[in-house]
Amino acid sequence: MGMHMKRKERAASVYSIRLRWHIIISYCLAAVISLALIAGIIYFEYRSSVNERATARLVSVVMEHKGTIENFLFELANTMRMVTLLEDFDNLRQQDVLEQVYAVLEKEYDFAFEDLGVLDLDGNHLAYVGPYDLMDRNYIQAEWFQDVLEKEMVISNVFLGFRQAPHFIIAVKQTNGQDTWILRATVNAVKFASLVEYVRFGRTGFAYIVSHDGYYQTRSRDGYRVMDHVAPDHLDLEFFEGVNFWELKQDQRNFFRAKTWIKDNDWLLVVEQDVDDIYGELYLLRQNALIFFALGGILLLVLTLMTMKLLLRKVKLIDAEKELLDEQLIQSHKLASIGQLSAGIAHEINNPLAIIGEESGWMQDILKRENMQGIPEHDELTDSLREINQQAGRCRKITHKLLSFSRKMDATIREVDMNQLMDEVAALREREAGLSSIKFIRDYDQDLPMIHTDSSQVRQVLFNLINNAMDAINKNGEISLSTKKNKDKSITVTISDTGMGIPQENLTRIFDPFFTTKEPGKGTGLGLSICHGIIEKLGGTIFVASKVGEGTTFTIRLPLEPSVTVADD
Amino acid sequence: MQDNTDPRILLVDDEERFRTTLAKRLKGKNFEVADLGSGNEALDYIKDNQVDVVVLDIKMPGMDGIETLGEVKKLVPGIEVVLLTGHGTVETAVEGMRDGAYDYLMKPCEIDELVEKINGAFAVKKERDLRLKQAEDRSRLDKLEKAVRF
Ligand SMILES: [Mg+2]
Repeated sequence: MGMHMKRKERAASVYSIRLRWHIIISYCLAAVISLALIAGIIYFEYRSSVNERATARLVSVVMEHKGTIENFLFELANTMRMVTLLEDFDNLRQQDVLEQVYAVLEKEYDFAFEDLGVLDLDGNHLAYVGPYDLMDRNYIQAEWFQDVLEKEMVISNVFLGFRQAPHFIIAVKQTNGQDTWILRATVNAVKFASLVEYVRFGRTGFAYIVSHDGYYQTRSRDGYRVMDHVAPDHLDLEFFEGVNFWELKQDQRNFFRAKTWIKDNDWLLVVEQDVDDIYGELYLLRQNALIFFALGGILLLVLTLMTMKLLLRKVKLIDAEKELLDEQLIQSHKLASIGQLSAGIAHEINNPLAIIGEESGWMQDILKRENMQGIPEHDELTDSLREINQQAGRCRKITHKLLSFSRKMDATIREVDMNQLMDEVAALREREAGLSSIKFIRDYDQDLPMIHTDSSQVRQVLFNLINNAMDAINKNGEISLSTKKNKDKSITVTISDTGMGIPQENLTRIFDPFFTTKEPGKGTGLGLSICHGIIEKLGGTIFVASKVGEGTTFTIRLPLEPSVTVADD
Repeated sequence: MQDNTDPRILLVDDEERFRTTLAKRLKGKNFEVADLGSGNEALDYIKDNQVDVVVLDIKMPGMDGIETLGEVKKLVPGIEVVLLTGHGTVETAVEGMRDGAYDYLMKPCEIDELVEKINGAFAVKKERDLRLKQAEDRSRLDKLEKAVRF
């Protein structure tokens, strides 16, 4: 049993270590890879969709504001052109008329116009309305003035001018008859800038305008003021068509930038938004995904472990079952071959033994005769012959048992009530057991079905086992007899004693013929192997479990109907 | 048949030494014993000699014990037979009892057991012979009675 147990334990430990890790690793790997794949695909899909949306939004913001700004400027400029068309030069150069016009414009355009002036081609004011005293100012040197002489209408870049407030000039050249003159207005750039600067979207979305020569026309996001020059390398002022868009990194800031040229390619409208802002919800998603991933992973791990535990238990169970079957098979093969061998030997010995018996018997007969009574050593001869006879008798018992062990069974199958049979057999020994203070405890299944089996052979088995139990106890103890119905058309009978128990190393050999722990001459070691043979031939099984010092239990399982091997005589 | 004669035994076994020694011992127990080594010899013997009980080994070369039993019963139905069995022949022995054997014994056997069986068999035979004799006497008497009436 020792070796056997070690093998089993090793098998079990192999399962619990190598197989367990194999399963854990492959399960988890599969789970993690697929989870990561799913998470990755979702993340990048989502990222690209967020990216697309952000791009589209920035581009649309740019286009929208390009429209708004150009409309605003065009409207102001156009209004001034209308004024020059509707009013005569002679009228407009009169202070009171200009004042009336200014009042209307101021009201209509919500103080966008700061002042209004009529100039001659030399840059001198002919009339002026506004908060400053600019009547004597000459503009011949101003860039916008040079431009308007050429272009009829001009919208200047934003500049601070002598009043140190951001503003720009709209000027329109008009000719009435032989008079050519210029209507000039100052537009409050702060007001204008609000059109751009108030463009806010997301957390960091921001718009600004830069002139083609690199001066901020509105405030920048990073603190540059109007008329500041763009920091070198911060903005590419090359001309391009349509909307330009890309992601870039400047001063540790990751952002998207969309830009487009407006106002006849004079100003560059720039819209920027931080990457973090755009991907904000994506980052949140990523965080959630990570949590989800971790939780999923843990769940999978737990499930894997549980599944594996279940699986291992099953594998172990199957293994144990198989081991048991193997064991039974080996045992019955072993017993069959030992049986055959011993039967052969028994047969061969039987005749010589019979002759020995007869010869010694004959000599005894002779020695008993009257005329032999006086011979020397008569008693010694008698004694010796008696011993020969006795030993021959002992041999005879052995060979008879061997033959009964190996002989084919002449089974008479009848309906048997196992409870009753147990009681019958127990009754044979119960009185004697009582003398040795051995108590019989019965635990019978009252619903035990009748079984079809050979009652005399089963009786022999039960008798043998009860005898063994009594021998194991010797004095003071209990023998428990129980019967139980099984689910699989069989019954189980157990006989337990509180005796000395059987050491591990003897347990596997206990059913072997000639295996005995009794003193020589006290037992043949055939009892249990005969029991084993009988139960097996009746289609059942017999097991032994034992613990030294605690006792031994024999468990017999018998089918309700005998298996075919019984009929095979 | 006289009441006080010793039982006449025929011992049939292929093991010569077993047979002869057993025969000697049985003679010592006041049996009249003949011993033979085969079934055929036994059949020849019972044709010419009076035998009460045949002690018959089942496992013999040639004609085995069961066959011999059948022939014996055919030839002389009144003879009782005790079978001696060896390896794997207990079932056969029981079968033999169905065929009319008185009983069987496992070889090797105690002489006392054998004597007991032989005595039992002999008693059965004697009783039957007695009834047979009485029946014969009665029928003879009946015939006589009829003859007297007419
Ligand atoms: Mg023989």
